[in-house]
Amino acid sequence: MATDAHILPLARPAPRGILRSLLLTLPILIWSLLMLFHPGTNTDPKSRIAAALTAIFMTALFFMMMRTRSTYRWRRYFFVSLGILFPIGFIHNLLVMRGFMGIPVEEMIAGRTPFCFMPIPLLILPAAFTRTLVFPGSILGSQHGIAAMVALWLAITLVMGKGWCSYACFFGGIEEGMAAIPPRAKIRKLDTRWRYLPWAVLLAMVLLSLALFEPAYCMWLCPFKAVTEYVAARNALGLVQNAIFVLLFAGLVIMLPLLTKKRTQCSFFCPFGAFQSIFNKTSIFEIKIDPAHCKPCLLCQNACPNLSLSKESIARGETLLSCMKCGACVDVCPRQAIVWHIKGTEIAWKPERARLMFLYAAWAMAVMFGGSIITQGVATILHFLV
Amino acid sequence: MVECDSVVVCHSSLTHALDDSEHPHMAVFVSYGEALALGLASGPACITACGPVLVPSLLAAHAGFKPHVRYLSVFLAARLVGYMIFAVVAWELGLLASMLPAPRVLLMGAAYVLLASVLFWYAYSVRRSCTQPCADSKLIQIGKSRNCGIAGAASLGFLTGLNLCPPFVAAGVRAAQLGSMAAALLFFFFFFLGTSVWFVPFISLGCIVRNQAVMTVARMAMALIALYYLSLGIAMLLGKKTYGY
Repeated sequence: MATDAHILPLARPAPRGILRSLLLTLPILIWSLLMLFHPGTNTDPKSRIAAALTAIFMTALFFMMMRTRSTYRWRRYFFVSLGILFPIGFIHNLLVMRGFMGIPVEEMIAGRTPFCFMPIPLLILPAAFTRTLVFPGSILGSQHGIAAMVALWLAITLVMGKGWCSYACFFGGIEEGMAAIPPRAKIRKLDTRWRYLPWAVLLAMVLLSLALFEPAYCMWLCPFKAVTEYVAARNALGLVQNAIFVLLFAGLVIMLPLLTKKRTQCSFFCPFGAFQSIFNKTSIFEIKIDPAHCKPCLLCQNACPNLSLSKESIARGETLLSCMKCGACVDVCPRQAIVWHIKGTEIAWKPERARLMFLYAAWAMAVMFGGSIITQGVATILHFLV
Repeated sequence: MVECDSVVVCHSSLTHALDDSEHPHMAVFVSYGEALALGLASGPACITACGPVLVPSLLAAHAGFKPHVRYLSVFLAARLVGYMIFAVVAWELGLLASMLPAPRVLLMGAAYVLLASVLFWYAYSVRRSCTQPCADSKLIQIGKSRNCGIAGAASLGFLTGLNLCPPFVAAGVRAAQLGSMAAALLFFFFFFLGTSVWFVPFISLGCIVRNQAVMTVARMAMALIALYYLSLGIAMLLGKKTYGY
């Protein structure tokens, strides 16, 4: 095995010129203004300020991606902001609309449960068997409706595959932020068999959802209930459910990322992430490793926040199916052996062009979906402060 | 001529009318045809109820058509035994149709706890290979014996047979209206045949390649499902509400 001393880094590509970077950023600037300002509808001045701040933030990050030719670091600023600001805006919205965070059974029966993307894999089999959606929400609701979320998820997923988990998931940012705090990992050796657990959770939850005719994951195991909309506990069982949510959140989203510097909830638990991995097969974008340039220093394996690289996969010149296309491995490789790649082309075929094509799709989606959530969170803070 | 408002009453009345007439064989035909139809109609509910137990345990079995047919046959046979034992005991106690909700919940709670225990044991032991470097290869072969899953299949099938799911309760109510225990048992047998047809597609899981990933996922899923059944069973035994928070 080669050590770091034996790795001769190739010269890193020079930063792109400012004018050229600005030109490349211009489409994102226009898209941000269109998506975040909602011309003609948004008249609240604080919301306009929030939209302007978000547009500047998103455009500046994209500019830096263009200028520095690196992805992960700038994406992480966006992603952590999304993870922190989503609960702020969402909880505020719940308190304004309903008066409390806990959802009582009456609200569920009335079909007013907000729908997030997590239960999508759990709905498929019951819908196929019975033409019924086992979720107590509204299909065509104006806010958090099932149809809108499913359509958005499908469109994004077909293009980006599991890139959803790095650019759209409004939960993953919390643990990515936690993982960024410590300078180095306290726990370095992780048993890679735990990588199978998300698939097991997916299988168990799909089968239980079909048997119980309810979204079992949302009812029992979702760690993010702790920071969004928990079950209104009216008896011992409700307390047990909430205790499970809080313990999973504290363990998988706070403690383990601090100790391992990895996205542990995504890597070892999230059933939606496992389901999303399947769509890496349909996406045209992927990460490839050029064996001609690679000296297996394993810096990429250590940098991957999702344990999506193994010695075997590096030897094969590819990532594992669970790759979230965050770009950490590409940025850290000292020999530029890891590249963005479009399926059907040669590995060495213009990797920067492949990166640009992916980033335009990913960032356009990030602005539209995540940008709106960030705007809502910033507007909430402005309402409190100003 | 028998007049009735609903299909269920109509079937029941028709059977009794035929019982009293000179065509007992027709009554038998109607009763067991009804049991078969009830089983066929309830099949989807049965496979969804048994799916959390059956799918991961099948995925933990050896790949291929034959091992799956063998596993499923044992599972279903044990399920039939569970049906029959429940029917005999309930008939003798006069509880087949009139079991009160409280003892029914207790019985289901106990069945869930047992099911969880078997699932935990199965998840831990199934196709567990020896990791000791000094172990003899023949010892590893014993651990991978093709018969080691049969006890698991039989236990899981038997315990799911005791699971009082709604179609099973419906069959129990109807069987209680028959004249003898033998007739009730035969009714359950035909009901079982009807539901079993729906289990045949599970054999196709044998086409999935078995590697370390599939085995590990299957075993982890079994443990998770066991955890769910255990908590549900304990809640039922303690008399706590499992829904309606």
